[in-house]
Amino acid sequence: MSPVTLSAPRQVGKPQPALPGGYAGQLLRVDLTKRKAWAEPWTPDEMRELIGGAGLGAMILYRETAKGKGNVSWDHPDNRLVLGTGPLAGLPVWGTGGLTVVTIGALTNGPTSTQANGFFGTNLKYCGYDAIIVQGQAKDWVYLYIDDDRIEIRDAKSYLGKDTWETQDALSRDLGLTGHQLSVYSIGPAGEHLVRFAAIQGDYGHVASKNGVGAVMGKKKLKAVAIVKGTKALRAADPRGLIQCADDIAHDLKTDPSARSLYEYGTLPGVVNLSKMGALPIRNYTTSLTGDVDMKSWEAPRLREGFDHRGHQCNACGMHHCHMSVIRQGPYKGKIVDEPEYEGWSGAGWTIGATDQSAVAWLNTQTDRACVDVNEFGWVIGWVMEGLEKGWLTKQQVGFDLKWGDVAGADRLLQMINRREGFGDLLAEGVKRASEKLGGEAAKAAIYTGKGASPRGHDHRARWEEMLDTATSSTATMETGNPVHQTELGLPARINPFDGVEVAKLVAGCRGRRAFEDSLGICIFTTRTRLENICRALSAATGWYYTVAEAMRFGRRTAAINRATALRCGLTPNLEVPSFRYGSTPHDGPAAGQAVSAQWEKMVDTWYKEVGYDRKGGKPLPQTLKDLGLDWLSKELWGKKA
Amino acid sequence: MPRRHLIIGGGTAGMNAMRTIREEEREPSEITLVSAEKPYSRMVLPYYLDRSIAEQHVFTTSAALLAQWKVKTHVGRRAAALDTKANVCTLDDGSKVEYDDCLIATGSSAVRAPVPGADGANVHSFWTLDECRGVIASVTPGSHVVMIGAGFISFTILNSILALGAKLTIVEVAPRILPRMIDDAGAEVIEEWLRAHGVTIRTNVKVTKIEDARGKKRVKFASGGDLVCDVVIMATGIKTNLEWLKDSGVRMNRGIIVDDHLRSNVPNVYAAGDVAEGRDLVSGQPALHAIEPTAQEHGRVVGANMAGKDVAYKGSLIINIVEVCHLDAASFGAWDDAKADTVVGAKRDRSAYRKYLFTGDRLTGAIIIGRSGDVWTTNDVGMLKGLVQTGVRLGRFKDYLKAHPFDVKTAYIASGTAGTLLPETVLGRPAKAPGETPVAV
Amino acid sequence: MKVLKITPERCTGCLRCEIACSYVQVGAFQPAKSVIRVSPFEGHTSYAPYTCTQCAEGWCMTACPVGAITINAAGAKDVLDDRCVGCKLCTIACPYGTVFYDASTRKAFKCNLCGGDPACVHACPTAAIEYEEVATRDWLHDFAAERASHVLATNGGRR
Repeated sequence: MSPVTLSAPRQVGKPQPALPGGYAGQLLRVDLTKRKAWAEPWTPDEMRELIGGAGLGAMILYRETAKGKGNVSWDHPDNRLVLGTGPLAGLPVWGTGGLTVVTIGALTNGPTSTQANGFFGTNLKYCGYDAIIVQGQAKDWVYLYIDDDRIEIRDAKSYLGKDTWETQDALSRDLGLTGHQLSVYSIGPAGEHLVRFAAIQGDYGHVASKNGVGAVMGKKKLKAVAIVKGTKALRAADPRGLIQCADDIAHDLKTDPSARSLYEYGTLPGVVNLSKMGALPIRNYTTSLTGDVDMKSWEAPRLREGFDHRGHQCNACGMHHCHMSVIRQGPYKGKIVDEPEYEGWSGAGWTIGATDQSAVAWLNTQTDRACVDVNEFGWVIGWVMEGLEKGWLTKQQVGFDLKWGDVAGADRLLQMINRREGFGDLLAEGVKRASEKLGGEAAKAAIYTGKGASPRGHDHRARWEEMLDTATSSTATMETGNPVHQTELGLPARINPFDGVEVAKLVAGCRGRRAFEDSLGICIFTTRTRLENICRALSAATGWYYTVAEAMRFGRRTAAINRATALRCGLTPNLEVPSFRYGSTPHDGPAAGQAVSAQWEKMVDTWYKEVGYDRKGGKPLPQTLKDLGLDWLSKELWGKKA
Repeated sequence: MPRRHLIIGGGTAGMNAMRTIREEEREPSEITLVSAEKPYSRMVLPYYLDRSIAEQHVFTTSAALLAQWKVKTHVGRRAAALDTKANVCTLDDGSKVEYDDCLIATGSSAVRAPVPGADGANVHSFWTLDECRGVIASVTPGSHVVMIGAGFISFTILNSILALGAKLTIVEVAPRILPRMIDDAGAEVIEEWLRAHGVTIRTNVKVTKIEDARGKKRVKFASGGDLVCDVVIMATGIKTNLEWLKDSGVRMNRGIIVDDHLRSNVPNVYAAGDVAEGRDLVSGQPALHAIEPTAQEHGRVVGANMAGKDVAYKGSLIINIVEVCHLDAASFGAWDDAKADTVVGAKRDRSAYRKYLFTGDRLTGAIIIGRSGDVWTTNDVGMLKGLVQTGVRLGRFKDYLKAHPFDVKTAYIASGTAGTLLPETVLGRPAKAPGETPVAV
Repeated sequence: MKVLKITPERCTGCLRCEIACSYVQVGAFQPAKSVIRVSPFEGHTSYAPYTCTQCAEGWCMTACPVGAITINAAGAKDVLDDRCVGCKLCTIACPYGTVFYDASTRKAFKCNLCGGDPACVHACPTAAIEYEEVATRDWLHDFAAERASHVLATNGGRR
């Protein structure tokens, strides 16, 4: 394989304006069809407009994936895979190794913005790049090697078939680099076999999981991106201010009652907390009761102490989150696993009826290694288990029997999905397509949204704001999320969670925050401080004066651009409904009887009104676009009449 | 305790000896220094050559400091004879210095290949300050320099010659470069790197003659293919300065044979640095190490012993490092031991190369090549030195190191090397900072 | 003398110490210029920072041919930039691997304890690095030996 030489940044006639601080200053463009890679400069104006990560990616998708009046599909060579980071990555603010993957994903065939952490952003920026934009498709399997100015598209044959951890082990060994000297983000067998919910995993346990981004990478025959820790310098406009702000954020995360448990235990407390609200998804939504399980053993301290656990933090992070665990007992004794996030405990655990903590921890890591989205994995496996129990699936169909909580069996199915063997081939399409194919009872039991997104690992029948967010989203996962201090945005601190109008107003009111955070190169958990603090950090890094108002406006701009791309992909408002099971009414547990379906239309109507989008066609209204400073988009969406 | 110390040679060994005497002594003593040149550091000359430092910077002491140390000086004089019965040293001007004990640290000089024209105009050696000045006067931007010899000395000035804007050709009689510092495979990595950086290298060529050619020099080879150039630098080796000791009764092999206190067969005569055949740390056998760190350690050990302390020397480790065009190459200990259990690691795309030589489960020699900017290279350079220096037993981490030649740190730390090193000092006490040396008692 | 006391069990490998250190070294965030370095043990589950022990012998200091390495008020061996010529002898003399060389400035650089207020200590979110009046020792040995054995035990040193 011949190395690809990196061309020098384009020379512009007039002197370049000074870069804002925090930025590496270049985008790395990789064309796999042409086997070429080159650095593209981007301007300070573009940086202020698009920031990075989600914002930059949204614009690239909108600009570069149009095809006639529609859009290229996820498996088209012209699809873009943007692996972006942002201005805070690599800096001393906690949790700043950020990766945001933006692409047309395989599950919804529409846009995605999904993030992970680790050291991607750190290593990439120290090499001199703010994002990687991958286009085209390689003829043979390759991996991308980045070492400062040396960029090579290398043969990846010897890594094929390896899971994500094995891939990183092998690359570290072959390149002679240990630990965080090398950051590797790769796909596992699932991505290689175009499993529609395949994910991208990096640095042992950090997964950009949504919308089959791993399948997109697989279609491009890009096995991995290996980034040597670069040697270049990052400068902050106000380094002292930045360090001060980083310390303030750290203080807030450590001491604020709403963030403290996250600081101490990451997302582990979610299991017990959500179970109390009826939002822990149990056995494919067939119940909301934890039964005879000792929930005390699921409290965060005990959950963690059950393992020999070790810190495995992302760049500059002090959260006691992201741990490695060594399993102490049982059949998986001695195995090193990634301490599951709440989502892992739910997707590889409760959703499929598994409550043996060691086994769940092991299975969760199996999904990371394979590498699929653990949420969709849960919805798929739970659906199969329910089907076998109820008889609308048979042992013959599946190939073997699988009972609730059978972790080894779930792994067996995972490996079949991974390689699209037997029944695994159908399941690899995701639960929406699989259930639609089978029809009948099977169709009624599957959990998904009309657009095809996998809900997060909650029982959203008790969390309507997340159901609404997931269903209306243009990015195949929760597009908004709610902030820690929603009062900061002039929103009420508490609402009635089962009042559709209040829910819709809250979701609409928070809109934009997630896109802003995902553009910075920072973790979604270390941003659980006041938005004002994040804006301060951004200002200190870049030298801009960035306000909360600008942040929200930026986020809404990004959401509007994603919406435009999603519509081009055919993701229209008529698809903004939960599946039958997803939108059903819990019959037991704390949220029993709360019927989201009864309020769905009203909730969506209110949301559309609040966000200023056209309820029928789904487009952001001309006035909304004008307010966001998106006159150009208005012209493109509405034509001259706007 | 001896009251009159004579130090012959003002290089690294001599300077360190004098300083250590002043640090260690409890009673006043006299020190006399005989030095052919005003003391300077040879290590620093390449940086003077490319003008990154001023000439003043090369000197390791001053008249004022020597006066503060109460050192009587005979600078510009050479020792001509040593009468070890009478304890008298005769200098080249006929004057005599009496002593109670003395240190021979007369170092080495450059030798030129015996070819016709080797002593002609614009043919230089590069060893002393004077020779350095000669090269400075003749190399100008754009001039073509032919360096004869691809050994350590040439490589220390290679960067400087290039920095001066000269075009450089290196010729070597051996089949490859750095024959006494790096193995074949390592030499190949460096050669490749140098060629990529515009240095012409011709190996396996024997110079037969150097002629004048209309204001230029013509270097002729046995195999033909003459080179015409502006300047010739002969870096064809060094020899120890020991002829003057012929009739002294001091026992010599290739150098002066010394015991573990660096004493010669004459109990009040010590030797240090290039001229001393002291103990080699790895082999335990006497060896001649013409390197700076050995001179420094020798000097300090002798100084302490002259001041009445009883310091036994564990032995010196061969260590060499050279940087060429931002590529580092270093070797340690018995790097060419054919009997050793050997492992090699290479990353060609990063010009990185490692070779580790084990005896049992101890690391007894190593070669490391890597880019200077690569901090992990520097990290590993030191750790490999530590492993060879301590000779810690690697146990199961030997296999680890063999399997992961680029992960030195795990083996180094897990085998407790740092802990072994912490109590270790050359003089049995913490070293003093330069400038901390007290004035004479 | 106060020393950097390392408690490897507390290190999570976040590398914040490297970022802070580089800021003191070069005024920018550039871990390549950091003099404290975090290394992995046992694959990717165990990390520990490693830096100069300010050893008694001061191999770097005694090796320097131009007296460019001295002892500062904090007791740390410190490189004097105006004396250092960049000959690298200290990098090879230091048996701990904790003296570095900056190709861009042609100077050696190493931990000088930030003159008595080490930035890495402030930066570490888990107090894995502390600055205390204790006798220095080999802080990492036991930890590394134990953690690395897992790698050896499971696959004979071959990952």
